[in-house]
Amino acid sequence: MSETTPAGAIHDIGYRRYEGPRLGASYIRRSLFLETLRGSFGLGRSARSKIMPNLMFGVLVLLAVVLGLVAGYFGMSELPMGYEEFVFSMQVPITIFLASQAPVAVSRDLRFKIAPLYFSRPLSRPQYVQARYAGMAAALFVLTAVPLTLLLAGALLAELPWREQLPDYVRSIAGAAVAALVLAGVGLVIAAMTPRRGLGVAAVAGTLLVLSGLQGTVRALAEEFGDAAFAGYAGLISPFSLVDGVMAVPLGAESVMATPPEGFVMGAVFCAVAALLVVGCYGSLLLRYRKALR
Amino acid sequence: MNATVALLTRRSLLGRTRTLVLLLLPMALLGLCALAQVLAALDDEFARELDGALAPDLLEAFGIAVLMPLLGLVTGTGSIGPEIDEGSIVYLLAKPVNRYSIVVTKLAVAIAVVVVFGVVPVAVAGVVLTGEVGSVAGAFAVGALAAGVAYSALFLMLAVVTRNAVVIGLIYALIWETLVGGLVPGAQALSVQQWSLAVVERVLGDSAVRLGVESAVGFTTGLVLLLVTTLGATAYAGWRLQRLRLNAET
Amino acid sequence: MSTLELEQVSRWFGNVVAVNDVTMHLGPGVTGLLGPNGAGKSTLINMMAGFLPPSAGTVTLDGRPLQHDPEIYRDLGLVPEREEMYDAVSGWDFVLANARLHKLPDPKTAARRAIDTVEMAEAEDRDIRTYSKGMKQRIKMATAIVHDPTVLLLDEPFNGMDPRQRLHLMDLLHRLGDEGRTILFSSHILEEVEQVAGRIEVVVAGRHAASGDFREIRRLMTQRPHQYTIRSSNDRALAAAVIGEAGTSGVELVTDASGDEIVQVQATDFSAFVHALPRLASRHGIRLLEVRPADESLESVFSYLVAR
Repeated sequence: MSETTPAGAIHDIGYRRYEGPRLGASYIRRSLFLETLRGSFGLGRSARSKIMPNLMFGVLVLLAVVLGLVAGYFGMSELPMGYEEFVFSMQVPITIFLASQAPVAVSRDLRFKIAPLYFSRPLSRPQYVQARYAGMAAALFVLTAVPLTLLLAGALLAELPWREQLPDYVRSIAGAAVAALVLAGVGLVIAAMTPRRGLGVAAVAGTLLVLSGLQGTVRALAEEFGDAAFAGYAGLISPFSLVDGVMAVPLGAESVMATPPEGFVMGAVFCAVAALLVVGCYGSLLLRYRKALR
Repeated sequence: MNATVALLTRRSLLGRTRTLVLLLLPMALLGLCALAQVLAALDDEFARELDGALAPDLLEAFGIAVLMPLLGLVTGTGSIGPEIDEGSIVYLLAKPVNRYSIVVTKLAVAIAVVVVFGVVPVAVAGVVLTGEVGSVAGAFAVGALAAGVAYSALFLMLAVVTRNAVVIGLIYALIWETLVGGLVPGAQALSVQQWSLAVVERVLGDSAVRLGVESAVGFTTGLVLLLVTTLGATAYAGWRLQRLRLNAET
Repeated sequence: MSTLELEQVSRWFGNVVAVNDVTMHLGPGVTGLLGPNGAGKSTLINMMAGFLPPSAGTVTLDGRPLQHDPEIYRDLGLVPEREEMYDAVSGWDFVLANARLHKLPDPKTAARRAIDTVEMAEAEDRDIRTYSKGMKQRIKMATAIVHDPTVLLLDEPFNGMDPRQRLHLMDLLHRLGDEGRTILFSSHILEEVEQVAGRIEVVVAGRHAASGDFREIRRLMTQRPHQYTIRSSNDRALAAAVIGEAGTSGVELVTDASGDEIVQVQATDFSAFVHALPRLASRHGIRLLEVRPADESLESVFSYLVAR
């Protein structure tokens, strides 16, 4: 005997759809942002990955603390190294931090081709890039702002007049924010060029160092040559000196350079270049991730 | 030395992105030289400076201190690092090939790349800056060669020993050699840059003082340390390669 | 002759014991290394290939220790599990390079033969980075056999292969095994192992759980009763007779999927039951139409061993 086989049916075996509240796209973006930020300091990752970034962070913090202590101990009338100088002088640890962490933010997704997983969620390409960019920039900001704040604290404890310290401090914090945006952009774009982590680290560090060296050398040549304006424009070459220039003219800070940019025109050029760089890096990242979806 | 290993290394070393990074460095140097020449053409006093101490300054500050360490880092680690990382080194190791031979061959390829992308541009830069195929260009070319060989050997060894070779190499070249070296004179005795500079100083001979080229170590010390570092790093790399552990996902 | 011997081999990584006191002797023919993921198969293979020293015990090839002796690779071929190779070269160049590294007297002929054996001649001039997973597996296979090794170790070789490629590889392994080579391949997919391996070695959580022909192992699993399904001319009478036997622990009359009646028997004493069944049938005049062991498959062996 045989029965006519019934038409296909899906049986209720207790599987339940999730009908509850779903956190929206903003939650995803916030999570991605936080993951990038925390991941840059090794939080949420293996113990080994915490060493490098926190080592660099520690160097900066240590220096800030030492400067404050020295000012206090010797009863100096001002800090041995100013706030504006601080970020510029700490180029190397900041570069190493960025070089080692930028690949973590972007190369991993590209290397293991898991970028499509992100985009199968309600997360658009611009939102993904924004979250990653913002996370990296926030990490760099923390990296610089915390030591700067400790520097202020040290200065105040050394009984330096706060009326003098505060404006400089505020300017340098603004500068740190600009630096964070510019450096994060440059670092992420370079790191996203290669899925290999080692090469990404070397490429980011190499580029920033070469630009820095170029900047110094071109500036030295221009100064030898005797053209101060030319020397001022040399600051456009390296992101660090670019930020220094942005701080010098519009924000009125004291520049680190012997030949800083001066005047409205130069100031405007510096700001424009900085803005263009940020926008350009963002655009490049968008393009890179369009390719990643194939 | 093994021709097949050399071929495979060359192919994997000169990939698209890495070659780009390698090109960036000498191009920056040559760009600087072009700029210097332009400025010299515009101003006689500047041209005189260039004939003096400025050219060696440039070559030292950019050529020896920036170009060679970065080149050595990218090629030294790149000649064996990715293969170990990805596990494809097993295709070299599961063969009746001497491990030291593998290391030496890879080092040779790295050095060849460093010569093309580093030593030759430094020599060219020297000629362009001083306007003659003279002692300055020659001295710095030799110094660059010494630095390139030592850095490549050192960073290749690092890549065999650890997976974070690039970052550690960066910390060495940047923080140890430059920052710490600037603050703590003793650290300069352990700096490949200073050893190479000692070689440059010796080759320049008497004109070294006039040109402002001075190393923190003497020639013999520098040369010996260069040799010890290169040979020691290579030997250690071979020893560690023999004992390399390959595991499923590591 | 080529025998791989593992004597009381253990391997730990810090606090994690990946391989726990394993003793194995691998001789000519195809042996399947079977185990769930994370059982320690890759660790074992890496130790057998000389790339991982054991924390305890010894691994030898024909009595020679494997450490620090690159010469063993003249006779040993390895197909690693990881996918990455030298992406920037073509398949042909890569296999040829491997042949040269083996210091073969005629590398080109060997490479040609290896590539033809794995049927990659069509794609051999394309760069490896353009290959699919199955193609990469085949190239890996080619590099492992290019030097005609007497011992071949394959770590999850069927990964990523489509059915046709898989059959082809099984065929190849059969052939190589029949030629007297010692072949070990690992897998967690039972059907693959069942169809290719003469012997199996089962590894569970680092321990060596069983070895031998899987049917033999089944016989040794005495704690689990054997299941049989029997069709006969008189099921009920047969059932009554069978339950009277000492070696039987249970009997059931079932209607199977196609509507026929069958007897399902659970026998605790395999050999006694097998001898008793024909006797019973003839004594009661029952004709046996079909006698089938119901669970003599690798799967049942495997799930039993894993559950232990």
